[in-house]
Amino acid sequence: MLRYLRIELLRMSRDPRFVFFTAAVPVGFYLLWSNIGGVHGEIEASTGLTPQVHLMVSMAAFGAIVAAVASTGSRLAGELQSGWLRQLRATPLSNRAVICTKILASMILALTPIVLVSITAALAQDVRLSPAEWAGMIALMWLATFPFAALGTLIGSLVSPDAAQPVSVGTHLGLSMLGGLFVPISQMPHALQNVAHWLPSNRFGEVGWDIVGGHAPSAAAGLILAGWAAALGGCAIAAYRRATVTA
Amino acid sequence: MNAIVFTNVSKSYGSVQAVRPLDLVIEAGQTVALLGPNGAGKSTSINMLLGLAKPDTGDIQVLGAAPDDAVAHGLVGAMLQNGTLVAGLTVREVVDFVRHLYPEPLPLDEVLRIAGLTDLATRRADRLSGGQAQRVRFAIAISGAPRLLVLDEPTAAMDVESRLSFWASMRSYAAGGRTILFATHYLEEADENADRVVVMARGQVVGDGTAAEIKARAGGSTVRFTLNGRPADGLGRLPGVTGVEIHGPTALLHTTDADTTVEALYQSGLRVRDLEVKGADLEDAFLDLTR
Repeated sequence: MLRYLRIELLRMSRDPRFVFFTAAVPVGFYLLWSNIGGVHGEIEASTGLTPQVHLMVSMAAFGAIVAAVASTGSRLAGELQSGWLRQLRATPLSNRAVICTKILASMILALTPIVLVSITAALAQDVRLSPAEWAGMIALMWLATFPFAALGTLIGSLVSPDAAQPVSVGTHLGLSMLGGLFVPISQMPHALQNVAHWLPSNRFGEVGWDIVGGHAPSAAAGLILAGWAAALGGCAIAAYRRATVTA
Repeated sequence: MNAIVFTNVSKSYGSVQAVRPLDLVIEAGQTVALLGPNGAGKSTSINMLLGLAKPDTGDIQVLGAAPDDAVAHGLVGAMLQNGTLVAGLTVREVVDFVRHLYPEPLPLDEVLRIAGLTDLATRRADRLSGGQAQRVRFAIAISGAPRLLVLDEPTAAMDVESRLSFWASMRSYAAGGRTILFATHYLEEADENADRVVVMARGQVVGDGTAAEIKARAGGSTVRFTLNGRPADGLGRLPGVTGVEIHGPTALLHTTDADTTVEALYQSGLRVRDLEVKGADLEDAFLDLTR
C-alpha cells in the first residue's frame, strides 16, 4: 500500500494541473486579496484577526478543498473509466487499500496549499505566529482535510470523467462560498449563516482561525468535521466498491 | 487439480442473458482459447472468473478458491479489454508497482524481456502505440508470476507483427506449466496457440475440443475449379462429394475426402482448370457452430 501511495504521489507531481490548482491558485488569490483587504495589521472586530491572517487561513482552506475535491474527483473518475482501477481490481491489491490510498494521497495533495499559503503569508505579509501555532494550525487543518478527500473520491466514483470536473468545481466553490472562506459568514444573511455552521468547509476554516487566534478549536467543530468524515468516508468506500464491481 | 471450474453459472444484464447456465472445467497447465463472436459471453465469463462481476446463479472455483480469494492471494493475473494505461508513470514504474503486489513475482528484467519491453522501459506508459500498450498490459498480467493467466482479447489493436511476437511471448510464459485462458474472436489465434478450444455463442458453450476436433466437426474440405460452361452433371456422384455449388463459371464441391474426389475428377475426363483444394478451416467450423 505504501508503494501505491508512492506511485500516486509521483503521478500527481508529474501532472501540470497539480501545480496550477494546488499551488498557483490559492497563493495567487492570497497575494491578490491580502493587498486589497482592510488596513494592514489592524485587528478586525468581526473575526478577531488581522485581514492578512484571516485570509491566510481562508485561502489555505480553499486551496486544500480545491486540491482534495477537484483534483481527486476528476483523476479518480478518469481512472475508473480508463479501466486502470479495474485492472488493479484483478491484482491482490484490495479495494479497501485502493480507496484508503486515494484518500491519503488526496490529503497529502491538500497539505500543499496549506503549507504554501502559510509560507506566502509569512514572507509577503509578515504574518507572525508562534511555532506552536504554526504547527497546530497546519497539523489540525491537515487532519480536517479528510472529509474533503473522501468527498473527492466519492464524486470520482459516482460521476463520469466529463461530469467530474464541473461537479467538483461546483462543489468546492459552493462549499468555499457558503462556508465563509471568501466572505466571512458574519456578513451573510442569517439563514445562510445557519447552513454554514453545519458545513465542513466553515468548520474547517474555523479550526484554523481559532488556532491562529490563540485558542483551541471548539468541540462542535471537531464533532461536525468528524461526522462529515464518517459519512463521506463511508459513502466513498461504498461508491467505489459499486463502481468497480458490476453487481 | 482444476484451474477453473464453472458450475451452472449464469449472468444477465437486465433482459439480456449474457451467460446461460454454463458448466466448464479447465485443468491446470492447459492453454485454452475461449472463442466466440462479440456478445457471446466471453468477457462476462472472464469478469466473473476474476471476481469483477458476480454470477446470478452457480458457483465458480479458481484454483480451488472463490474468485475474489484467488485474486487476493495473487494466483491470478489478468489482461482485461480496453484498458488504457495509467497516466504519469514509466513502463518500468507501472510494471514494478504491480509486480510488488504479488507474493512471489517474476524478476522485473525477466518480465520486461518476456513482454519485449526492455527498450521501452523508460518511456511513459500512457504515450505508447496501441500494440506497445498491449505489451505493457501483458507484462502487468504476468509480472506476479500468476498460476492462472487470463487474457481478454489480448491482440485487439495489434498489427500482424506485434501479434506474432505477442504469441511468442505468451508461449514462453505458458512453457512454465501455467494455465492460460484467452478469449479471442480470431480463429487462427485459437488454432495456433491453444491446446483446447472452447467455442461460445449466445452465452453457451457450443463446441469444445482441440482445434483439429472442432475443424473435423465442420466436415470435410472443398474443391473449387473453373467449369467454363461444360455440363456439371455427374459432379455430385464423384466419390466423397457431399454437395455441389455452381457460381457462374466456377464449380465448388464439398467433400469428405478431397484426395479421392480430385483423382476421380481428373479420371472423369473433364478438362478441369484453376483447381483449388481447401481444407476445412476453423472459420467454417466456427460459423457452423455459432450460427
